[in-house]
Amino acid sequence: MTVVERKLKGIAASPGIAFGHAVTAWDPELVTLNYSLKPAEVGPQLENFHRSVKKSRTQLEKMQTKLAQSRAGDSTSLIDAHLLILQDGVFIDHVLERIKDDRINAEWAIQSVSGSIFEAYDRVHDEYLRDRRGDLEDVVRRLLFNLRSYQRPTFRSLRYHTILVGRTILPSTLIELKSPRLVGVVTETGSPLSHSAILARSMELPAVMGVSDVLPGLISGELIIVDGDEGVVIRAPSDETLEQYRERAKEEKKSRRRLARIVRAPCVTKDRISILLGANINFKDEVEAVVASECEAIGLYRTEFDFFRDGKPLDEDKLVADYSYVLQQARSLPVNLRTIDIGMRDGVDGMSPELGVRGLRFSLENRSLFRRQLRAIYRASPHGYARILLPFVSTLDELSAAKHIINDVRKRLTEQGIEFDETVPVGAMIETPAAALTCDLMASEVDFFCLGTNDLIQYCLAVDRTDRSSLHLYNPFHPGVLRTLKQVHDLVATTGKTIVVCGEIAADPPSAAVLLGMGFTALSVNVGAYSKIKKMIRSFALSDLRELADDLLKMRSRGRIEKKVRRMVAEQIDV
Amino acid sequence: MTSRQVVIGYRLGLHARVSAGLVQLSGKFRSRVLLSRSDETGDIKADADSILSILLLAAGYGTTLEVRVEGDDEDEALDAICSYLERS
Repeated sequence: MTVVERKLKGIAASPGIAFGHAVTAWDPELVTLNYSLKPAEVGPQLENFHRSVKKSRTQLEKMQTKLAQSRAGDSTSLIDAHLLILQDGVFIDHVLERIKDDRINAEWAIQSVSGSIFEAYDRVHDEYLRDRRGDLEDVVRRLLFNLRSYQRPTFRSLRYHTILVGRTILPSTLIELKSPRLVGVVTETGSPLSHSAILARSMELPAVMGVSDVLPGLISGELIIVDGDEGVVIRAPSDETLEQYRERAKEEKKSRRRLARIVRAPCVTKDRISILLGANINFKDEVEAVVASECEAIGLYRTEFDFFRDGKPLDEDKLVADYSYVLQQARSLPVNLRTIDIGMRDGVDGMSPELGVRGLRFSLENRSLFRRQLRAIYRASPHGYARILLPFVSTLDELSAAKHIINDVRKRLTEQGIEFDETVPVGAMIETPAAALTCDLMASEVDFFCLGTNDLIQYCLAVDRTDRSSLHLYNPFHPGVLRTLKQVHDLVATTGKTIVVCGEIAADPPSAAVLLGMGFTALSVNVGAYSKIKKMIRSFALSDLRELADDLLKMRSRGRIEKKVRRMVAEQIDV
Repeated sequence: MTSRQVVIGYRLGLHARVSAGLVQLSGKFRSRVLLSRSDETGDIKADADSILSILLLAAGYGTTLEVRVEGDDEDEALDAICSYLERS
């Protein structure tokens, strides 16, 4: 069979070029690796599979007993169907055969056998067959899941570079699979603004998202190229293409090294105005590298990733250990610990629904979690310079309620004789239009502000950043966005409080140039964007940027605005 | 070996619950039970011990299947299975 090179277009979600072998993840929560077995491994592998079948059966039987006792007794027959699949020779015997004869791991065998059964189902064009497919899918998922307790997937053990390809890749999956062997990410859904994309950038993993139909026909192990600069995925690359990309990857490495030298230079504009440049982190383990890159603050520590790293909330002592570590590593640099920004979207990914109960709203409804995190922050506070940052604030009442809880936590700690830093500042994220318009009114309740532009822009423009169809409307250069940002700056200026911009636009040199022109003097970015932003800062005189911002604020077309900014920035810096 | 044609009497066809019942019923007999469907959708065979293969028959309401039973309790099994499928 001749394989023809295929270019698939997506959206550039995290820059860089990666070569690697595809690992497909059909189920966002269940990534399995396919590998061949050595003869000695066949026995244990068969055993793992048998155990997984047994465990699945026990689970189903338990469920059945429970159901039978409830009023839903009728649905036990559905579980019967699942149990019967577990003893179905068409499925189970074939899996065993594949493991033994083809010497492949159980996960691979399960997927390959179920794959051919699914294919048979799909050939029958029958609407109602679809739910039967669902039954088998359910059982397959259960088997794979139960196998996981015997062998968790780890990319570390792989001998080759891998690229994770899935319909959706959850942030938690990326965290779990983080390893030097994981070099790139491709997803069918998602956008550069999704949490997974933000995470990929902070992990410096090239990623292309929103690639439709990349999964069908993709074989695990296939060599693919991820071009996170252009938003392209290449399957079955020709030698010529491979060569081209190798060259480009080399070039990129060189330019990154050039940029790295900039890191040591002071962060001042041409007219010698200092700009504070901080770093955003998602994991405690990032802090060391970030501090080594001489950043001046951890402008945003998105604590929810570590908070839920075990799949459930960490207990207080573990949180104290985490936060103490981060504060110690950061030495005396300020660390903005943003309290968990999660929401209740099926509780699946632990990530936020875009609207509704999330951020501070969630914390106020789940006070024991909130109190646990606050206590941990205070208990860790003697180790460094902690600052509490409250996400997704939309009313002053929420802030007051949060402050009330914070005060109560402090009182309790004092009663218990636990030492903590009394002066830990409390700040609010400005990321809803309501907060943007009223930040001066909130000033009495907080010590500082953070501007979360990702959310603010999406609410300002009414564009869901996870929805691909409207993504082209998400544009930070929209006059409405510029005015909102400018207004936030001006309102905060009247209060004398500080504000640091920590959204993605701070990491985009043209947008960041505009922010400086508006008067913002503190930015916090992913460490990957650190050097290019510093280079931008050092290339301009603030007075010129002020002029630029003033001009832009008078313009009407976001297209023209963007063009003007990009041209000016491109002329000034050659990165 | 004995065989008979039956017409599926379940309004939703051989869906998961009915199929599960069929596997359980055929398990009560020592004979081997095979089902086959030959019509415009093709020629599909299924083993009544395998729920996945039964589901693959995609037998809707009114579909005609041939039931073949072989074993020492085949007559009894054929009657039971046919009346189950016809829902009589």
